[in-house]
Amino acid sequence: MPQTQRLFDFVESIPPDDKVVMISFDYTPQTMPECHPMAIALLKHCFARNIPVLGLSFDPQAPGLAVEAFETVVNELNRKASNYDDSLFYGKDYVYLGWKSGFTAAVLDMGESIAGVFPRDYFGHPVDSLPLMQKTKNYKDVAIAIVLSASAYPEYWVLYPQSRYGVKIGAGLTAVMAPKYYPFLQTGQFSGMMSGMKGAAEYEHLIVEKGYTKKLGRAETGMNSQSIVHLLIITIIILGNIGFFFSRRDRKQS
Amino acid sequence: MNHDPWIWIGAFLTLMIFSFLYKDNPFYKFAEHLFVGVANGYYIVFYWQNALMPNLFEPLGAGNLVYLVPLLLGLMYFARFIPKIGWLVRIPIGFMIGWGAGISIPAYFQAFVLKQLQGTIITPQSFENTIDGVWAVIILIGVICTLVYFYFSKEHKGILKPVSRLGIMFIMIGFGASFGYTVMARVSLLIGRIQFLLGPWLGLID
Repeated sequence: MPQTQRLFDFVESIPPDDKVVMISFDYTPQTMPECHPMAIALLKHCFARNIPVLGLSFDPQAPGLAVEAFETVVNELNRKASNYDDSLFYGKDYVYLGWKSGFTAAVLDMGESIAGVFPRDYFGHPVDSLPLMQKTKNYKDVAIAIVLSASAYPEYWVLYPQSRYGVKIGAGLTAVMAPKYYPFLQTGQFSGMMSGMKGAAEYEHLIVEKGYTKKLGRAETGMNSQSIVHLLIITIIILGNIGFFFSRRDRKQS
Repeated sequence: MNHDPWIWIGAFLTLMIFSFLYKDNPFYKFAEHLFVGVANGYYIVFYWQNALMPNLFEPLGAGNLVYLVPLLLGLMYFARFIPKIGWLVRIPIGFMIGWGAGISIPAYFQAFVLKQLQGTIITPQSFENTIDGVWAVIILIGVICTLVYFYFSKEHKGILKPVSRLGIMFIMIGFGASFGYTVMARVSLLIGRIQFLLGPWLGLID
């Protein structure tokens, strides 16, 4: 929980209608059960606090998933919106820039100009024509870049944009990757981290606890099954060790 | 139950893949080959539309001749297939290595060496919070002992023996954490598929 709480607290500390939260959607359909609930929970948190969101992707499999995450959250919140001001609008409250090739050059160039790297957004609109992008020129206008990824992208965000421009980095990772990234938390290079379905469930729990949404997400329900499977595996490991102990003792005696 | 044909296709393909748990069979093979074919087709079209067209062919078509330089550098990679001009491949490789090294070496030192060293060093500030201080000491001991374990220039005798033994314990704890997280990840993926089958397909869960 502490690393998820740190990410949640960081997003909580961002003033509303100020800098954007940049979310890099870099997960794939294979890892959707772990990373997609993170994206949904993060978007709900940002929109509930009136923090604009800027989405982008560097993994070729991610754009469809990113668009689905935005649509799911925006449709849900707009259905609940009581008036025009409460509604979310593309270009004003959120923008999805789409996919770009050449990761290293792209993330470094965004320090100078985001519109220079993404002249058009995912839907083909000129980026300069979008109100959100008129006040979001480069990393100076980004409060934190949160990388939702199933591969090594988070460490490259630390390596390039953070080293050169001091960008704050948060991460949402698959559980397999998590142990490798704990040192980045300890050094403060990550401002927070969600690890696997557990991390997504913790974030869902935190936004429900804070009253931003009433319904828990897919990760929280998945963790019930996860806990039962863990208990089963622990039991099997203990039984296996007991069996090994007795078989070794029998061998010694004979 | 859902009436969307794509959901049905997804559900049947999922079941075909799961059928491998029984044994290898034609349904599994069909789903596997379909996946490889669709993935290849997706990548080819995706890169053509989103990388080559906007970043090369469209600017070239608009008369921006400077884009001939990356085109030529890219084409030089294919020189490997013609032995007489195979040496040309060294030009783009040299360019990429030079650019990559220039961009990466200082960043690697800063992000992965200096920052990590900084995180390992204990300062009076480390003890501002008692628990953080205790962890800082554990991390320092762990790093030193693990490094000693991988120090093979001298036989692990005397003081090196217990220190390297402690090092291997830290390594084992790291492996244990990795194994635990890997189990969790794999179970999560199974849960995701089951949620898909019971939710969008059969409509039994929300």
